[in-house]
Amino acid sequence: MIKAESPALHDGSRIAVIGAGPAGSMFSYFFLNMAELIGLQADVDMYEPRQFCHRGPSGCNHCGGIVSESLVQRLATEGINLPGGIVQRGIESYTLHMDVGDVEIATPLMEQRIAAIYRGHGPKESAPEAASSFDGYLQELAQDKGAAIIRRLVTGIRRVDERMTVQCADQTSVDYDLVVVAAGVNSRLLDILESDMPAFRQPDRTKTFICEFHLGKELINKTFGPSMHVFLLDIPRLEFAALIPKGDYVTLCLLGDDIDEELMTRFFESPEVRNCFPQNMIPPHVCHCYPRINISPSRPIYGDRLVMIGDSGSTRLFKDGIGASYRTAKAAAKTVVFHGVGADSFKQHYAPLCRRIDHDNLVGKFVFNVAGLVQKARFARRGVLRMTRGEQQRTKGPRRMSGVLWDLFSGSASYTNVFLRTLHPAYIGTLVWNLVAGNVRGKSTADSHATEGDGSHARH
Amino acid sequence: MPGTDRPAEKAAAPSFRTLAQQAEKQPPCQVHCPNSGDVRGWLGIIAQHEKNGLTLDQAFDEAWGRIALLNPLPAAIARICPHPCEDRCIRSDKDGAVSINALERFLGDWALSRTLPLPSVMPRRHEESIGVIGSGPASLSFAYQMARRGYGVTVYERGESIGGMLRRAIPEYRLPHDVLDAEVNRLLELGITLKNNTDIRSAIGFEELRDQHDMVFLGLGAQAARRLGIPGEDGPCVTAGIDYLRERKQHSQSLDGRRVLVVGGGNTAIDAARSALRDGAHVTLLYRRSETEMPAIAAEVTDARLEGVEFRFLVSPTRIIRDGDEITGVEIRPMRLGEPDAQGRRRPIAGKGPPQVLAADLVLSAVSQAPDWHGLEAILDEGGAPHADQDGRIDKGLWAGGDDRGAGIAGNAIAQGRFAAESAHAELRGEPAPRLQAHNQAVQGECVQHDYYANRERGERPRLPQLQQLADPDAEIDQTISPEQAYREATRCMSCGLCFDCQQCFMYCNAAGFTRVTETRPGNYFVLALEACEGCGKCVELCPCGYLELRDTEVAPQ
Repeated sequence: MIKAESPALHDGSRIAVIGAGPAGSMFSYFFLNMAELIGLQADVDMYEPRQFCHRGPSGCNHCGGIVSESLVQRLATEGINLPGGIVQRGIESYTLHMDVGDVEIATPLMEQRIAAIYRGHGPKESAPEAASSFDGYLQELAQDKGAAIIRRLVTGIRRVDERMTVQCADQTSVDYDLVVVAAGVNSRLLDILESDMPAFRQPDRTKTFICEFHLGKELINKTFGPSMHVFLLDIPRLEFAALIPKGDYVTLCLLGDDIDEELMTRFFESPEVRNCFPQNMIPPHVCHCYPRINISPSRPIYGDRLVMIGDSGSTRLFKDGIGASYRTAKAAAKTVVFHGVGADSFKQHYAPLCRRIDHDNLVGKFVFNVAGLVQKARFARRGVLRMTRGEQQRTKGPRRMSGVLWDLFSGSASYTNVFLRTLHPAYIGTLVWNLVAGNVRGKSTADSHATEGDGSHARH
Repeated sequence: MPGTDRPAEKAAAPSFRTLAQQAEKQPPCQVHCPNSGDVRGWLGIIAQHEKNGLTLDQAFDEAWGRIALLNPLPAAIARICPHPCEDRCIRSDKDGAVSINALERFLGDWALSRTLPLPSVMPRRHEESIGVIGSGPASLSFAYQMARRGYGVTVYERGESIGGMLRRAIPEYRLPHDVLDAEVNRLLELGITLKNNTDIRSAIGFEELRDQHDMVFLGLGAQAARRLGIPGEDGPCVTAGIDYLRERKQHSQSLDGRRVLVVGGGNTAIDAARSALRDGAHVTLLYRRSETEMPAIAAEVTDARLEGVEFRFLVSPTRIIRDGDEITGVEIRPMRLGEPDAQGRRRPIAGKGPPQVLAADLVLSAVSQAPDWHGLEAILDEGGAPHADQDGRIDKGLWAGGDDRGAGIAGNAIAQGRFAAESAHAELRGEPAPRLQAHNQAVQGECVQHDYYANRERGERPRLPQLQQLADPDAEIDQTISPEQAYREATRCMSCGLCFDCQQCFMYCNAAGFTRVTETRPGNYFVLALEACEGCGKCVELCPCGYLELRDTEVAPQ
């Protein structure tokens, strides 16, 4: 029910969506779909001056570019079917690299695969036809639904009486009934909003690193295969490092607490990383950036006729940002169409989802802290390696460690879900056994006996 | 280290990293303006006026001031300039060049209508006295630049009124006298002494004049028409085009029903042909090359054709057929194009085919003019002309510019006068020659991102309807655009090579490396903190105008 005083959209209402990345485009797509259902005629203007058909950082929204199969399926049920050109490569396994050894983790249940994509049109100087932009595809979907793309840079949002005014760099300004901020955290718009709106606090951010190596398809098939290579190394502040094969390129993604050159030097000098590359040499990269990611949400995440979605609002820690964009975009669209555009509507129907994400991130922080302890302790790494290898080498039985690692790396499941699974007595028991078995026996023999020990224990 | 752009080597010494930097570049409009006009600068003042706290009126005033720093006669020059600035405008590859010429003319008229004074004139503060011979655009430009710098200037003009070819040769329908008068008077008001009706050869003597002044500028122009050099040329009914144009300015001429042949392909030939048409003649223009090689402004050629001038290309007159004091016709022969000459124009050579006779009552020859060096023989070299350096310096205290140095177009004459004045001033003050200072590198066309700029059709200036063009022979054909059109057109400038505040670098730098300056002006909106730059190049890729660039920069070792 819409309360009398709560503002709502009506025929002829105008919505400004600031930023046409995945969150902005999916909001526009869902909004127009739902509005059509109830016969609401409202205009959607998506403000996006950048063009995702450009190669290099200018046409890119900077991320590692992995989409979990569960999200791909989820999008498919919404009518969003990623075309072949978007998926650079299906990822069929993870290879976990540690100083104590490597292990390949196959797709659990043969269905939770990963799609490697480019957010923009591929790395600098790549062949123009080599990549199609994921973000560009979603933008086109929204446009096909009737959203207009406005190639203007928004430099301010102001509340004027009962309307919102969007101001642009070229001195134009337009009034709207609702402004949806989907500008991410790699633009200054949230800085500007913070200084313009006294109550607003933008998310805390941290610096990550992404770069592209050009190795060619053939070499990549030979050295990396259809596998994403993940590193669990004892490097302070490094939470996650992965090499993701995509066509002629391999994307490197480093996440953690303020990735800097010192950390990167240690990473590139570690033998586990060097050994992944042909001739153990790390080639010069062709494209790089230091994108910022959220480590906390915006506060508040909504206001009268104003809502923040995607990274500009609340997103998942480290992983599955596109999944979070999908969820926040859809929830915001639903609220706007069915409940109104006032702060109370968002509080009641949109904020709960964001709170769930924030809460899960707290669990996620804990899980990553535990993973950090594993990274630091060699004996723990041995245990994890031994347990995972054991699971991978047998064909039956639960693969508890593999599943936990898979979901942690891919973001396929919530952190709470992952955490709860680690509390399962069988998981703990098996891990303890492997910690003992992996460390009591000689290091040289640990690997060869892993299967045996693990198998016997799993039968309990 | 692979994390930076230099792999593998662990350098102990300073290493180089690829970082973004702000670097102003020269736009093609400026490169191709003979006077190096700061076109992008004055367009930016108009287009970005709101950002910089100016009303549109103030912006027009300021933009005109920017032009007037380099050219004291914008309203007059804009009316006759072939505007090479527009030919290379990068926007012409997209949806049509910016109408720079129409805008300059608008600003020229704007300043006249608001009686704006010429900018930044110094009070008289230098003792040296400057003499200027001639009062064409080169002389006036030189006089202006010296007067602005605080010198006492005297202009010697052998005729009654000043303006040189602008006044004597350019027809009213292209440059009305009241526009020229207004701009010239504004210039004289700077305190320039005018001695008209003073032929320095007879009244003073060249050497005496040099003794009277610390510095003399020669702006004699090119008064002597070259002859066709064919039999029958001497005698009545064969006149130089330039003389005919001069004559009809003083006494109206009637050529009612007469058949006039104009010989030549330059602007004088076109002016003569169109003027003769206005005087009632049937006009045919003969040119020995094809239309592509014509040096005349293309739009003028088109207008001449529309008005009824007939064109005969690839023909050359060989003989004028006389009958007593009159002529009956001109014998012509066919030509064809040969190898290109030094300027890349294909040379005309004799073609095959029989000669032909065209009936004619009057021949106007406009095959170029030369300076008249009579009385100045002392300064000529073996080639029959004084040797001047790039800035027009012939000798200590003697400079030259304009058609006596082959300026060709008035914009070039203005430029030569200005460059000469800048160098002359430097010489008088013992400063280094200004033109030797380095220019910014020219902007590369591919660095300007066409798809950033929305398509917007070029605004054309209004023109007198075709039917009215000949009804009043003096009616000006091109009209001035409105202030609204001027603003609209100025905002089409892509500001090639200079920041115009699109704000994308500021907005999208992951490192928030760009900070807005407090006192903004065109070209100066943000500063980039190089220590913040992470070298990803996003800002460079986004920069629509090619202002930002990536460059290897030395950084201290960590």
